[in-house]
Parts: sequence; C-alpha cells; structure tokens
Amino acid sequence: MIETPSGRLLRGLLPPVLVMLGVAILTVIAVQLGGDDLSLTITETLIRLTVVVGLSIFVGNSGIVSFGHIGFMCIGAYVAAWATCNPMWKQLMLTGLPTMLQENQYPFLVAVAGGGILAAFVGLILGAAILRLSGIAASIATFAFLAIVNNVYSNWDTVTAATSSIIGIPVEVDPYMALAFALCAIAIAFWFKDTRMGLMLRASRDDGVAARASGVSILKVRLVAFVLSAFVVGVGGTLWAQFLGVLTVDMFYLPMTFMTLAMLIVGGMGSVTGAVVGTIAVTVFVQLFRAMEGGVTVGATTFALPQGTQEIALGIAMALILIFLPAGLTRSRELRLRRQRAATGDTGLGAPASLGS
Amino acid sequence: MLEIKGLAVSYGATTALAGVALHVEAQEAVCVVGPNGAGKSTLMAAIAGGVSPRAGSITYEGKPILGMRPENIARQGISLVPEGRHVFGTLTVEENLFIGTYAMADRRHAAADAEMLLGYFPRLKERWRQPAGRLSGGEQQMLVIARALMTRPRLLLVDEPSLGLAPKIVDTVYETLLSLRRERQLTLLINEQSSERMLRFSDRIYVIRNGRILLHGRTEELRDGEAIARAYFGFDDKADAALEAAP
Amino acid sequence: MINLIQTLIDALALGSLYALAALGIGLLFGILRLINFSYGDLITLGAYALIVPSADAVANMFIGNWPAALMIVAVCLIVVIAALLSDALVFSHIRRAEPSTLMIASFAVSYVIQNGILMVYGARPKSANLWSDLSYQITFGELHIPLLQIVTIAATLVLMAGLTLLLKRTSLGIQMRAAAEDFKMARYLGVRGNMVIGLAFALSGVLAAVAALLLLTQTGSLSQTMGTPLMLFAFIATVVGGMGSLLGAAAGGFAVAFASVFLQAYLPEEFRPFRDSFVFAIVILMLLFRPSGLIPTKALVERV
Repeated sequence: MIETPSGRLLRGLLPPVLVMLGVAILTVIAVQLGGDDLSLTITETLIRLTVVVGLSIFVGNSGIVSFGHIGFMCIGAYVAAWATCNPMWKQLMLTGLPTMLQENQYPFLVAVAGGGILAAFVGLILGAAILRLSGIAASIATFAFLAIVNNVYSNWDTVTAATSSIIGIPVEVDPYMALAFALCAIAIAFWFKDTRMGLMLRASRDDGVAARASGVSILKVRLVAFVLSAFVVGVGGTLWAQFLGVLTVDMFYLPMTFMTLAMLIVGGMGSVTGAVVGTIAVTVFVQLFRAMEGGVTVGATTFALPQGTQEIALGIAMALILIFLPAGLTRSRELRLRRQRAATGDTGLGAPASLGS
Repeated sequence: MLEIKGLAVSYGATTALAGVALHVEAQEAVCVVGPNGAGKSTLMAAIAGGVSPRAGSITYEGKPILGMRPENIARQGISLVPEGRHVFGTLTVEENLFIGTYAMADRRHAAADAEMLLGYFPRLKERWRQPAGRLSGGEQQMLVIARALMTRPRLLLVDEPSLGLAPKIVDTVYETLLSLRRERQLTLLINEQSSERMLRFSDRIYVIRNGRILLHGRTEELRDGEAIARAYFGFDDKADAALEAAP
Repeated sequence: MINLIQTLIDALALGSLYALAALGIGLLFGILRLINFSYGDLITLGAYALIVPSADAVANMFIGNWPAALMIVAVCLIVVIAALLSDALVFSHIRRAEPSTLMIASFAVSYVIQNGILMVYGARPKSANLWSDLSYQITFGELHIPLLQIVTIAATLVLMAGLTLLLKRTSLGIQMRAAAEDFKMARYLGVRGNMVIGLAFALSGVLAAVAALLLLTQTGSLSQTMGTPLMLFAFIATVVGGMGSLLGAAAGGFAVAFASVFLQAYLPEEFRPFRDSFVFAIVILMLLFRPSGLIPTKALVERV
C-alpha cells in the first residue's frame, strides 16, 4: 500500500477521532434514554475519565506509576471552592484566603483554569524535585506527595476548612459540560503522545539507555508530561467540585487513588484508549454490582447481594487483570491501526530483575 | 553432559539469544567468548534457570532442565557464579560460604569441604567472621567461587571471572579453577572477554556475538587466535559462513 | 528535663510500634520488592479477629476473652493465614512484575480485605476494651509512664530479639537474609524461593498480629481503616531506614517515631497540625539524597 501524506495524517487522526466519537455517542445515548440518576452517573464517569486520561498522560508515556495524582485533583477541587463559593461564607469560614478570593466570586471557567494552573504549578515544583528518581522510588515519592496534600488540606482550617465539608459550591457541570472536558482531555493526551516530547518520553520508557544515548534529557520530557498531566487532573478536580457542590478532603485519598488506578490498569496503562476503556469498564462493573446490591427481582423473589460486594468484586477483578492481562483490556494498544508494544518485563526468576545481560 | 539446542531468549523486544547450540562434555573446560552484550551472561543465566527462554532445549546428564526452578537446577549439580561477584554483603564470609549447603539433604561433608576450599583461598579464613561486603574485589571473587563449590556441583558456570580484577588475581582464580577441575572432576563453562586468557586455559571455545554462536572449535585448532578475533569483531565473511553452517 | 524524658519514652513506645510494622513491610520488600499496602489491613484484621461479628457499636469479645497466651496465638494464626492466602491468591502469580505493579496489586488486596471486614462487621467504628489494665500509669517521681508503653517496648524488644536469633542463628534465617539481599543469587545456590517467601509472609503476619493487639489496646476502638496510618508510617520507616535492610527497617521505625514525637513537641504551635507533612517530606528528601537509607544494603541502589 502506498502511504500518502494525507493518508498518514488520516491514519494518525483516526484513533483519537474514533475514541472521542465513541465516548460522545455513548454519552448522548445514555443521557437521552436514561433518567436523572443515570445522567448523574454519566457526569461522574466523564469527570473520572478526565482524571484518568490526565493521569495516563504521565503514567502511560513515562512508565512511572504515580500514586500522587489524586493530590492534584484535590488541589484543583479546592481552587474551585475558593473561587466560586459565596463570599459571605468564605469570609466567615476561610479567613486565611487572600482578600481577592474572599471577597469575590468567579465564574466557572476561571475556576477551572485556576485549578488546572495551580495543580500544574505544584506539579512543576514537585516534578522538578522528584523526577530524577526512577521506577519505584519515583512512585514512592509521588505517594508521599499525596499524603502531604492530604495532611495539609486536612489541617489548614483557615484555608481549606480542615476536615469539615465545604458546601455551597455552585453546581455547574452537567453531562455535556463534562463530555466537553473529557473530549478535550482525550485530545490533549493523543496529541501529546505523538509530539516530539511524547515520542522521546516513550522511547525513554521502553529503553532508557538508548534514549539517553540519543541525547534525550529524560528529566525534561518527564517533567513536561508530569506538569501537563497535573494540569488535566487539576481541571478534573475543579469539575468534581462543581459537580458535587460539596467537598471534603477525604474524598481525595486512598479510595479515589485506588479507583483511578484501577480504571487505568483495567484498560491498559500504556494507551489513551486504555484509559477510556478502563474508565467505562470499571464504571459499568461497579454500577452492575451496585444494582445487584440494591436487589434484582426474578419472578416473585428479590435477590440482593450484601453491601460491600461491589468493592470486593472490584478488588478481585483488578487482581485478576494484573495477573492475567497485565497490559489491560486493550493490551495498552490504541484503537486499531496503531501498534504499540506493552511494556511487560520478562526476566524469568522472581523479584529482583536484571543480573546483567 | 550439557546439551543446548536452539536456545532463544528475548527481553521484551530485544533478542538476547537466537538459536544457540552448545554442548559440554564431562570434565571439559569450555570457554564462551564474545564482546559485551553478546549474550554470554544470558546464556549462563538460562542454563541456571534465571531467565525463561522463548524456545529451545537444555538437557543436563540426559535430563531436560529447561523450565526448572533455579534452586532445583542447583540441586542437580549445576552451580552458577554470576558476573559481578554477588556476595551477600551483610552476611559474614562464613555464612556466605555455607549458604548453599543448608538446602542440601546431606550436609555431613560441608565442614570438610570448607576446610579443603580454605586451603585454596587462605585469605577467606582470615576474614571468616567479617561481612562479605568489606572484602576486596579479589577476595569477593574467591568467595563466590568457593561458595558455589560448597554445593558440590559437577558443572560449574563462571561468568566473567576476570571482570574488574587485577591480572595477577585473575591468574590465581584460573589456576585454582583448573586444579579444582582435576581434583574434583569438575566440568567448567566459563565466560571470558579476553581471548588470550581463554586460549591458555580452555579445551574448547565458543565465540558468541549478537546472540549467536559464530565459531566453535578445539582450542588447539584455534591457537593462532586469528579466526577468533575475526568472529569476535565481526569483520569477516567467514564468520557469517560459519554461522550458516552451524547445526 | 522531665518533659524531655517523657517525650523520649513516648518516642520509644511509638517507635517500637512503627519498628514492628516496618519489619513486616521490610521483610517482604527485601525479598519480593513488594511494598505491601495490604499490611495495614492485616493489622486491622488482627484486631477485628478478637470480636464477634456484629453491627453493634460496642464490640463483644470472642477470641478477645480467651486467656492472653491463647489469644495471642490465635490472632497470630489468623493473620498469618490471611497473609499466606494473599500471597497464594495474588502475589505468587505476579512474581515477575514491576515493583509498582506489585504495589498496585497490594492496593487491590487491601481494598478486598478492608471491604470484607466492612461487610462482616459493619461500617460503624466500635469501642473495644482489650487489656484495659495496661492504661495504668506507673509514677517515678514526676514521671508518669503508662504501663502499655512499657509493654509495647518490651514486646518489641522480645520480638526483635527473637527475629534476630532466627535470622542469625538458624539456617533458615541465614537463607532468608541472603534472599533478602539478593534473591536471585540465593536461588542459584539452591535456596528454595517459595519457602523463603512463605516464611517472610508468615513472619510479617506475626508482626502484624502483635502490632494489631498493641494498637487496639492503645486506641480502644476498632474501625476498618485502623491499620492504614500505622502501615503508612511503617512504610515510610522502611524507606528512611533503607529498603531491604531489616536493621534499617527497625532503625527507620524509631527514626520516624522520634521525628514525629519531637516535631509534635517542639514545632511552633501553628505548624504542629502539619507534623505528618514534615515526616512525609523527609521521605522524599531521603529518596533524593540518600536513596539507600540510614542503613544501606549492598544491592540497594539498583534495587530502588
């Protein structure tokens, strides 16, 4: 087959377009057919999708698992609260905020941008410090970051109201708004992947030695991905806040981290398609079990699974995926066309890898 | 004694070994030479069960050992001394030496073996209760060889014994290996980067590059070293021809 | 002066608890490169094992009413079995995976245990009285020391001494230390990988069980996340002490406890609530500037 330039462009554009189209169509159908409950679920899923895709910008390209990105989500969410809550309430409760934030109420998009930017800024500082670590050491450092964010936001009562809920955040996000942001996140992720930086980062993931030898400054490309990824996740946080209308710090800790990672891993860490598929698959799975916990009527009798089955089933499903499909449902490939090798180690023996070549 | 056929190993997308065939007879000293990254260490690790090959077979004394756990292969009488002197740094010299005997069914000869080996490596006796991490490079190399021999192997695999050691110490290591071979009917398979040294110590030689055996033969036939050098550096068409001809 | 001594004893007692838990995490990391997040839930499980499953707010003791010796053995047994099961069902199938994958898998295990406890015992935190006599304070002049602190320190010393004996004096222990340092090399020398791993899980289970009993006595309440904070600090302790080094894990436990207690005592008032952030920041600094920890093992830099 002869590859024309326009043909190549089409081939490159097809996966993102198909993925985005798929997400859009699913959303429209679900919103049109379902009731209010389903519409809320769809919104929540799309926000999670934004976060998962945001996380995959860093994890998928660098190969470093971050346990800290929910910290960026927390940072973004609180920016939304600071920007959009009723000034009276802020002056009463959040006395530590700058006057500018205390006395004013900013529109939705300003809050979104602010959340993304603050998260990106924190990401820049954190990333510059820790990204020269590699592998599990970097993962541990991101985890420490999550714990720090949680500790600071749980105790800084004049700015975050500590562990009490922040209430009265204007609810702005409906399914279509969430869809718009999710599509943007997907577009950014696909775009970044094929930029020079994205390619270099993936090269460094697959073969660090070769990438270094070819003059790639791993630190720099990692940092760019980290900041971009923090930005998208931060935006996801602001959406979360302006969807629920209520915030507590504890939303953004281990369970959310687990859920987000589960979505990423179930779909496949190495691809954007994987992030999308994983989010949808886990949501459907969870909803299915929730429905069964609520009770399923067959004929005259109602069967109900005990409360907690859903979480246990999710944990088991995740373990099964890690064991049998470590590259996820999509095998970490993009939708058709593009071929991308999953990064799975195969070094025989047990734990410690590499004894020299 | 050891028979390898069609051995292929990959790490992800990188091929480390492709269709390697090799055999070692009882009480031979066989050398595998090749440049860095040729696949020598992978070959050793594959024999000892440390990597899972993609294809091929390995039989030891007529018994297939491919796919066995490393600890079980060790129990068959194969002991690997990997490159880089993997002493257990926080364990004492004594503990290092005996570690391989704890899993053995019959430990009665362990003390006598240790005594015998310390005759070869008297330095270790002086450092008996010290953490192995404090030993010098040469002492560590002696320790790992002695440690491997404590498991009473019939086949000893030694990966790059000369790496990072002073030439004088390397010679001692080799002489010790060869006298052990005589006295304990030991079979040796050694990876070596220096073709000069291997010409002195081995019965047969395999040259490996880019994961393939490019040349093999008896040491005396390769004495002039020219064919080896050509295969080693890969400037030669004949090496490729040898590859084609290899079974 | 009295204040300082009091603070020191607090730190020692807290450090003992951290060191116990850190040893449990360090054992598994050394051999498997597994950072076991479900370790906190093993601790929780150990505490819940004492009571009758029910949704009541006050726990009814079940095993908790047995004579102390029997109770300790029973709790250890239950937690050890859970630890071994987690290996058999999950971790043993992904031995070759990256450490970060192992860590995620342990997240999954943690999620299952935590929600399993939730399902059986209900979500409501419960108060539970275990060994309440231990809250009795011994007075030396102006110094007041709760008996529990002394018991905690003593229990830790006994366990650490036992563990040291096991690791230094028995052939099994020496094989374990070798495996912790270089698992692959140990197997090349005939050390049975599965046996060493099983033993490591079992030992970490015993440590978790004892930590659970001490923790429950101290807090007097049960909740399905009770073990998580202890696990987090223990995990930090292993990083600070030097991952893969058992001595380091214990030392790290004490170091983290001392940092915590002294920060709490001497930080300016307005920063005290953020004490844990300082502790977590220490971890990042350690990773950056001394990745091999306080007490490094040889193979560490390549390991982490």
